Amino acid sequence: MNWHGVLTAMLPEHLLLGGIVALLLLEIADARTRGAFAFALAAVSAAAAAALWLHSSGYAAAPFPGHYAVGPAASLAKFLLLALAVPVLLLSRDEFTESRYFALLLSSLYGACLLVSSTSFMTLFLGLEILSLPVYALVLIGSERAQGAEAALKYLVLGGAATATFLMGTSFLYGATGTLGIDAIGIARFTTDPIAATGAALIISALFLKAAIVPMHAWAPDAYEAASVPVTAYMAVIIKSAVLLAALQLFGTTPVPPQATTLVALLPLASMVWGNIAAIRQQSFRRLIAYSSIAHAGYLYFAFLGAGPGRTQTIMFYLAAYGLMTLLAFTALPGRGDDAARDKLQSFRGLFHRRPYAALGIAAAMLSLAGLPPMPGFIAKFLVFRNVVAAGHTGWAVFGLLASYLGLYLYLRVIQIMFMQSPEGAVQPAQQRRLAWIAAAICVVPAILIAIAPGWLLDRL
Amino acid sequence: MSDAALLNTLLWLPIAGLLGLGLLPRDNERGVRALTLIVTCMQLALAGRLFATFDPTVPGLQFATEIPWIRAWGVGYRIGLDGLNVLLVALTAFLGPLVVAGAVPAVRRDVKLFHAMLLFIQFAMLGTLLAQDLFLFYVFWEAMLIPMFLIIGIWGGERRIYATMKFVLYTAFGSILMLAALIYLVYSLPSTGDAPSFAFEYLTRHTPPAGVQRWLFAAFAISFAIKVPIVPLHTWLPDAHVEAPTAGSVILAGVLLKMGTYGFMKLGIPLFPAAAWYFRPAIMTLAVVGILYGACLALVQTDIKKIIAYSSISHLGYVMLGLASLSLLGIQGALIQMVSHGLVAGGLFLMVGMIYERCHTRELSDYGGLARLLPVYSVFFMILTLASIGLPTTSGFTGEFMILVGSFDAAWPQFQQGQVAPLLLSASAVLGVVLGAWYMLWFAQRFLFGAARAPHQPLPDLGRRERWVLAAIVAAIFAIGLYPQPLLRKTELAARQYQTLLLSGTAQAAQR
Repeated sequence: MNWHGVLTAMLPEHLLLGGIVALLLLEIADARTRGAFAFALAAVSAAAAAALWLHSSGYAAAPFPGHYAVGPAASLAKFLLLALAVPVLLLSRDEFTESRYFALLLSSLYGACLLVSSTSFMTLFLGLEILSLPVYALVLIGSERAQGAEAALKYLVLGGAATATFLMGTSFLYGATGTLGIDAIGIARFTTDPIAATGAALIISALFLKAAIVPMHAWAPDAYEAASVPVTAYMAVIIKSAVLLAALQLFGTTPVPPQATTLVALLPLASMVWGNIAAIRQQSFRRLIAYSSIAHAGYLYFAFLGAGPGRTQTIMFYLAAYGLMTLLAFTALPGRGDDAARDKLQSFRGLFHRRPYAALGIAAAMLSLAGLPPMPGFIAKFLVFRNVVAAGHTGWAVFGLLASYLGLYLYLRVIQIMFMQSPEGAVQPAQQRRLAWIAAAICVVPAILIAIAPGWLLDRL
Repeated sequence: MSDAALLNTLLWLPIAGLLGLGLLPRDNERGVRALTLIVTCMQLALAGRLFATFDPTVPGLQFATEIPWIRAWGVGYRIGLDGLNVLLVALTAFLGPLVVAGAVPAVRRDVKLFHAMLLFIQFAMLGTLLAQDLFLFYVFWEAMLIPMFLIIGIWGGERRIYATMKFVLYTAFGSILMLAALIYLVYSLPSTGDAPSFAFEYLTRHTPPAGVQRWLFAAFAISFAIKVPIVPLHTWLPDAHVEAPTAGSVILAGVLLKMGTYGFMKLGIPLFPAAAWYFRPAIMTLAVVGILYGACLALVQTDIKKIIAYSSISHLGYVMLGLASLSLLGIQGALIQMVSHGLVAGGLFLMVGMIYERCHTRELSDYGGLARLLPVYSVFFMILTLASIGLPTTSGFTGEFMILVGSFDAAWPQFQQGQVAPLLLSASAVLGVVLGAWYMLWFAQRFLFGAARAPHQPLPDLGRRERWVLAAIVAAIFAIGLYPQPLLRKTELAARQYQTLLLSGTAQAAQR
């Protein structure tokens, strides 16, 4: 085995692992709970820096041939995931001091990193499981509500169903093609073997379930609402991104076969429509974000209708824009207080008069999620539909755009509540946390840069 | 400073002002107002300078800037001044300071946010007018939505949230169709070796086949028609106008509605000449329906602001008629009418705002005989009323007269060939002038004359600030009415080019 390769290629993972071990040792020593946050932040930042370094130096290697490979694209994906995790960590600071929370978060990130580097179904499966298992615990850990356990259980059961579906699909594919490499799904496209086709369909369904695509979305609103704010942010941004990047890893840049177009287009379209409509009626901000993220998963899977290198570019850009702006909304949420009250939309009434910067931050996030120019979300939306049109699916693109129109009202409603209603009767929010400001800055600065110079980023994807 | 830099300064000044506003404390209202006023006045000065140096003998763009923005897509930051947008840019810059000055008494809450939004919408409107790149145009076009959404929704009247949501959802629906069409347009063009490009100049040279053009034109046209608004897509307008604060109404009537007609002129017809030719009868019919229907609705309103709102629908019908007419006179008349309506309707909305600030009601029946109570106000109001009717010597006359003569001019040869419909439409449009005189004079009669009564007495007459604002508008109205020559000269080449494009639609339609 090439030890040097293993060391360099997996540097981000190793740094995360080091962080996890240190956190676990801290937990055993149980002396300095304050240090946990610093350790976790240092490990994630170092891992992100390592991923960026691997990407910029164009490093490519396959330390475990056929299972695990690193290239500039995978390193960039890792950097995206790890960098988006930094604001989540900053948000966690005031909510959690236990080292076990951070150990779980880092483990999940480890799974995310493994996922984007895997070249076989075995590593992909490992990655998915390491990504998801800690999150079931994370949902429960921060939950102060009675429904927390129920939501976590729901999430666990459905997550387990996704795992089982994925394994079943893998075994079908293995039976049909005799290989566990992820190119098996590519081979399956060219055969008329019903077993291979079933396997591919099962794997796609499992990925849909993980990303909360209609009709497999029902776990998301409950889990998002039950979890505490940083965990919700983590699920909405990083889990979703990791699953999409895994799908990207699986399907690469090959065009969608005509017989699968309807499956690949219809369910995401249904997600956009249902996510956008159901979000309108929500009274809780986290549930609203949950439905919004269901709709956004729809746009992201829609991008798979387009083919070629444009697909990678689209998904990476979309994830960056969506992740930054969703996190921005979470950083602007009021500080720790009465947990149930703080994310009621009613408590946002007249937020602009009480905390103008938080209101402006949430408003910017909403406009971007709605895909209005000049926000980065618009460029992302444009990219998706441009690729769909370029691939010749004009009809689907028009439906998708109309579905995105449905989403406008829900985002404007949040702005309307913050800016156009009087603050009377709303609870006075707690003081804004200092770290939340830093987290907001980490989101805002790159968001402004990619809005002003999207071409610069696109050239590098 | 080079001239292109001058144009860029004009466009980006509001953003600089916005950053300046950010530095001012929230409670320094005087400072906020002063800064916004200074920025808009500087814009006016720059626009005046650009208008004066705009060379009417040079076809195409002047003061152009072109910087690649998203190179891989062929998107560029392309702006420039041509005969089609020069008047509207001047109008936008002219109304800017007046809006700021007119908003002083009405806006008391969140003064800083309000002025920030004024500057932002000024930026977005100028950007929409100056953009010479479809992507850039779309970005600015949509960016106009957000500040207007807040202006109506925060500082508006009783039903402001309903009105602003209706406004945004209506407009955004059109925009989403336009987005679909523009993506399809750019990526369906057969690649002739050139990289795809969003430049207007490139897209006008590469038109899609006639069958595709119809779909794309329909999508663009719905978007523009909602903005104009063309009947039957007009129902957002009365709500938005009535609920908007005065400044919002002035911006809406003054500039925002013209974006629709400008869109037809700048994009809809040049990009899809064959489709435009195909839909021309429908556009003309809807324009005339708009003229008459808007006038009839204005006739029966009891809310002062609604009368003017519906009169806008009627007046913009003339613009559409002029644009769809094939004669140079009609096209140039449409350009003049856009400016004239911006001034007249903007002025009338300002005046309605002034009386509303004094009496807090817009119900027409509450007023009467204001000529005795407010002599100065009444003089200004009468002038604007007559300009709205289109009395000779005012700008309203120049625009409407040219449009009507132009449309007759174009309809007569067609009539001789046996087509009755165009002539019938032109004749019906004249009826709009009669209706216009009826509702405006009847309105003025009930409002200004008769027994003097007002819900709130004693009424102070116009103050110095208000007189200056109105005097500026009235001066501009008379200037255009008495001496339209400079405006006509500046737009003639562009109008001629537009006419050629429209006529080329027949050839294209016949060819394919």
